[in-house]
Amino acid sequence: MGMPRVLQESQMKSVVRLGSGSGFWGDALDPAEELLREGNLDYLCMDYLAELTMALLQRQRLKTPDEGYVPDLVPQMTALLPLARSHGTRLICNGGGANPRAGAARIRDLARELGLGGTRVALIEGDDVLDRLDRFVADGVPLVNLETGDRDFAAIRKRVVAANVYTDSTGIIEALRRDAHVVIAGRVSDNALYVGPVMHEFGWTHDRTDPDSIAAAITVGHIVECAAACTGGMSSRFAEMPHMGRVGFPIVEFERDATAIITKLRGTGGRVDPFTVKEHLVYEIHDPANYLMPDGVADFTRLRLEEVGPDRVRVNRMGGRRRPETLKLVIGYQDGWIGEGLLFFPWPDALARARKAKETLGERFQRMGLRADAIQFDFLGVNMLHGPAAPEYVGEPNEVGLRVAVHTASREEADKVRRACSHLWIMGPGGTSFGTPMKPRPVVAVWPTLVPRELISQNVEILEV
Amino acid sequence: MRLLRDIAYVRSGDKGDTVTIGVIARTPGDYQSIVESIDEQAVRDLFGDWVKGRVDIYRMDNIDAVVVVLNQGLGGGATRTLRLDQTGKSLGNAILRLPVRIAV
Repeated sequence: MGMPRVLQESQMKSVVRLGSGSGFWGDALDPAEELLREGNLDYLCMDYLAELTMALLQRQRLKTPDEGYVPDLVPQMTALLPLARSHGTRLICNGGGANPRAGAARIRDLARELGLGGTRVALIEGDDVLDRLDRFVADGVPLVNLETGDRDFAAIRKRVVAANVYTDSTGIIEALRRDAHVVIAGRVSDNALYVGPVMHEFGWTHDRTDPDSIAAAITVGHIVECAAACTGGMSSRFAEMPHMGRVGFPIVEFERDATAIITKLRGTGGRVDPFTVKEHLVYEIHDPANYLMPDGVADFTRLRLEEVGPDRVRVNRMGGRRRPETLKLVIGYQDGWIGEGLLFFPWPDALARARKAKETLGERFQRMGLRADAIQFDFLGVNMLHGPAAPEYVGEPNEVGLRVAVHTASREEADKVRRACSHLWIMGPGGTSFGTPMKPRPVVAVWPTLVPRELISQNVEILEV
Repeated sequence: MRLLRDIAYVRSGDKGDTVTIGVIARTPGDYQSIVESIDEQAVRDLFGDWVKGRVDIYRMDNIDAVVVVLNQGLGGGATRTLRLDQTGKSLGNAILRLPVRIAV
């Protein structure tokens, strides 16, 4: 009985080559094109979504029913799809955003326009639960706010604009099994974009495969999912990083034994070494021994990093535990407006001018009857970024800025900040200068919560050219 | 007096209303000093009322790093905060101001 399985496994790859093609909506396209041309990749994986993005895209979908996917998907795929098809690399992304069906249809049409006959475009749905929230509540899912412990979901219910579950790699695995060339998912977790192809190539399943192996894929996904962030971007050692303007995005060589090499293309900018990998291992995590993802729980405190060549780091001894029984659900809801203003003051006595302007703005707000539930003043060049952690300023700055931001219930109230700031054109201290007046912006706040896994299932469809 | 800026690298970011800060020893010999120098009180004293919730500190002995988590530390989260640095990218650098305590 052992023979056929050995034969079957020997036909499978021993190494899967994955590239990271986008770390966020707005990331550079040229490093992804380079990866497709020279990376000899099996997969290029692209993340476009953040917490705020889903609410923006949901709003677009409400206005125009065939929109709501990431608009950049079209120019990106126009450049990447022909390269991917000719090099035999499959593309996996979450650019479907709030409307994977429309996004996939648009990419199928695009493939046709590009003359890429036979292209199979997969769409993955199931993460969007906006229409199911009341049913969840009726069925006894408490939707407690994970951060604040607030149980009063009813208080924000009417203002909800988006509700998306961070789904696992199940849909991606199915899409790849059905020979998709391009996968267009919605709010699948960034991490699953990498876990999916690894599990597919090695025939791994959530139930039967050693949890350490799946946790290794989760760990590697975490390291590379923000693209250049592990190849020298965002680095504390910024001065040592060569040619960041033509930085290479990361490549993963993931081996069947659940170890991996992180590297990048020769001749590209940036660097891969144990520190660039460490810098991203610690990024945006809570307990490093319990990195909770929908595909499993990774423990980052056991792994070892080893520099095995120029721009080559091996990650081994990765591990973790099986996937949790609950999934993270992020609900976006309308939460008032922010009004913001910026004013700048020159030497001499720049800081004294800024302080006087702050006092004057305060008086204007009073006269105009501003109703705000929070007002924040910052001094640019002094304490804007570090707030209470910034020490008292010593010395005489060349220039100082004053920033004010307020939170209000209505647009009209928030707009008073723009008007008050413009009054300082003449009411302000000598030398007061401005940039462009800033319009009020609406706030979509985030209510993170949990739902039982069994309530969420993914739907995969293949669109053929 | 040495500061963490002399012995550590940092990277910070956000998750909801949480700020996370990774602090990495430049050399293995600096790791214990970093562990000694970062505790809840030092972090609270530094950030003051910018942190409303718990401060969690985790060790990563395998890579000589410490993870500091500022719960309810982003002024309501990236979309809601009144700060310019909506995702806490600059706050890692602030922790470099902490003085180095000598490891015993």
